Amino acid sequence: MNTHPTDDLAAFSIGALDASEQAGVDTHLALCEVCRAEVASFAEVAWGIAELAPLVAPGPTLREQVLDRVRPRTARVASTASRPPLLDGLRRIFDLKVPLAVPLALALLLAISLGGLGSARADADAYARAVAGVADGTVVTLAATAGTEARGSLVVPATGDPYLILRLPAPPAGKTWEAWVLRGEQPLAAGISGDRWGVVTLVLSQPVRPGDGVAVTLEDAGGVAAPRGTIVLQART
Amino acid sequence: MERIAAGDAGALGEIYDAYGRIVFAIVYRMLASPEAAEEVAQDVFHAVWRRAGAYRRERGAVRTWLLAIARNAAIDWRRTRGKRVEREVELDAATAMRADSSVVDSVLLSLRAERVRDAVRTLPPEQRDVLALAFWGGLTQAEIALRTATPLGTVKSRVRLGMEKLRLHLAEES
Repeated sequence: MNTHPTDDLAAFSIGALDASEQAGVDTHLALCEVCRAEVASFAEVAWGIAELAPLVAPGPTLREQVLDRVRPRTARVASTASRPPLLDGLRRIFDLKVPLAVPLALALLLAISLGGLGSARADADAYARAVAGVADGTVVTLAATAGTEARGSLVVPATGDPYLILRLPAPPAGKTWEAWVLRGEQPLAAGISGDRWGVVTLVLSQPVRPGDGVAVTLEDAGGVAAPRGTIVLQART
Repeated sequence: MERIAAGDAGALGEIYDAYGRIVFAIVYRMLASPEAAEEVAQDVFHAVWRRAGAYRRERGAVRTWLLAIARNAAIDWRRTRGKRVEREVELDAATAMRADSSVVDSVLLSLRAERVRDAVRTLPPEQRDVLALAFWGGLTQAEIALRTATPLGTVKSRVRLGMEKLRLHLAEES
């Protein structure tokens, strides 16, 4: 057993250690029941501090939005044996040999220039700022289908989950924007915008691996198990 | 957690019902924006959905795990997509931010919150400040040392002593 990191346990409990210190304590805790008990007691204090947060209630739709985001996963148990015709088109688009993965600086320029094309200037600016605010990781600009005002960038951070920064027009009634990861020939539902539009961030529920495609389509509200709607954004990593 | 890991969306709904309000309150306190807080709160519960299989009961209570996810999500959001909140933060900040009185939960008046608030008030200001910067500001001890031009060792001592005093106070109260 290594020396107990006693002096760091309080800071660990409130996330005040840097990444390497945090990892070191975490490794120790896996093996040390004494320190786990100490951390558990500090965790009670941390929770007490958390309860001092001003109790401002979330919007009434947040619960539904939370559940909406996981419903596509549930729906994926549905058979995909009868593949919709759109899927073939989607696959063909992903097969295009277009080098869409671009260096960060170029991605920012593309995002800003693309943003300037939209009609909603404020959204375009917010979108550009959001993309420019990406601190690290790979940014892939999504190609927009002709005629759409939607814009988007895929961010694959060095750590954490990949996400999309999107500028989306309001979907028609009964529709939602849905993200997909295309792995081989298989489209994987990766999240829906729900009732969000404008500049939104959508954390993908699927990992994005080299060679995967990413797309955004317009689908029925609540999301669907396989893409059927119009593709508005797409890219290949 | 086992039910969520198995894909039971209803179980996620139960977790939301139990902790959704406090999770939103925490990220709202850290981000000072209801829009950002709603976005991050969604991310938090989505992370719960995806990582439920990795939860280990022996490593801590569900709410401890959830608190860590919520704070990390808020810190990550602020570092990557939002502006760092530069204003002063206070550990006991129930009245420091605008809160819509129509939605203030009665829990605000709970004995537990009052006890914690009382305990916080007993801390020397320098300990209260470092805990606030760490907990609500999302700063590491090294970042606090840099920002406040205080030796790192001093910051570490203040964090440890502050937490130990709070723990002692709360234990005595109960």
